[in-house]
Amino acid sequence: MENKIDFEQLAHETRILTGFTNAHETLLIEAAPDITPHLVHVTEAFYKILHTLPKAQPFLDGRLEALKKAHLNWLESLFTGPFDADFAQGMYHVGMVHVRVKLPVEFMQGAGTLILSELISVAKEVYQDDAQRQADIIRAINGVIGFSVTIMQESYQASSLAEELDKFLAITGMSRTLFNNLALAYEN
Amino acid sequence: MRSDLLTNVLSELNGASADIEASAVISTDGLMMAAQLPSGLDEDRVGAMGAAMLSLGDRTAQELSRGKLEQVLIKGDSGYVLMTHAGSEAVLSVLAKSEARLGLIFLDVKRAAESIAKLV
Ligand code: HEM
Ligand code: HEM
Repeated sequence: MENKIDFEQLAHETRILTGFTNAHETLLIEAAPDITPHLVHVTEAFYKILHTLPKAQPFLDGRLEALKKAHLNWLESLFTGPFDADFAQGMYHVGMVHVRVKLPVEFMQGAGTLILSELISVAKEVYQDDAQRQADIIRAINGVIGFSVTIMQESYQASSLAEELDKFLAITGMSRTLFNNLALAYEN
Repeated sequence: MRSDLLTNVLSELNGASADIEASAVISTDGLMMAAQLPSGLDEDRVGAMGAAMLSLGDRTAQELSRGKLEQVLIKGDSGYVLMTHAGSEAVLSVLAKSEARLGLIFLDVKRAAESIAKLV
């Protein structure tokens, strides 16, 4: 499924939809040296909150350290860019990983908001003497989180469509190959 | 080679009755194997649609306890579409005129389907 998606287009459209601009990208990369040292704390704060939610436990049990590492790597990537087709494909893949472990989509969306909120605190502290920069970087962080989460939701959407299709094929007795041939015949 | 033989069977079938306007052999996956179609019909669509209808027909016959599927017949105000299995790998699809005498066509189609089943 992943190889049929035009990630260039997905990145382009998602940038527009989430108001994530080239200027934001530049700001994030410039801010990397100031912000990156604080990201460990963001990760810790994130998991501390998740731990208060009983429904999240089954996803965390036994793999917390590995998860923290993966999430920290991702957070760091928000300040390195480039936020191009490859990045979009990476986020789509991360979305699929969560689809496979059956993480509810609202956890993904909620987590985005939580992390945004933690990052806003970091930005306020780091740029406390520069109100303009503070406001700009917060907008840029908002953009990149929205960008990432929106692409991950795309994976959920694709997988729920695929599930519907599987059901339809099972009911009608059509093979996947027959369906593909039908789709090809009506492609244009 | 095989497709020549299939085309021969189809030509014979189309020649057997003036009421048969077109015919095609389709794989159960919906790919055209041989066809005697009027121009203007898209082979890919005829193929995929025919196989899909037959698959649905199989399911319906099963689901409604009608036994093993023998044919799917569609009647429009300009004529018929008749589909049958031709062996387990192929589908024979036939287009006939609206005034066609179905009994005769069923016989011709059954015979052609048996010949095709031996070829695929
Ligand atoms: C934060 C995002 C959004 C919010 C809070 C929102 C809110 C709403 C609300 C309150 C309604 C009226 C629902 C009702 O009839 O009771 C509505 C309808 C609608 N929205 Fe949105 N919307 C959002 C984003 C969008 C976007 C991005 C699009 C399209 C690109 C969109 C397209 C529509 C359409 C087409 C309807 C009309 C549905 C109908 O025919 O009844 N919305 N939205
Ligand atoms: C913005 C939100 C999130 C982001 C960006 C994110 C990011 C990531 C990344 C980068 C990975 C590694 C993917 C890979 O193996 O390639 C991962 C894996 C994982 N995440 Fe998240 N995550 C988010 C939210 C959550 C939440 C809220 C939970 C649970 C409550 C969760 C549970 C998991 C689990 C269980 C895995 C490991 C799957 C496996 O077994 O390989 N994630 N996540």
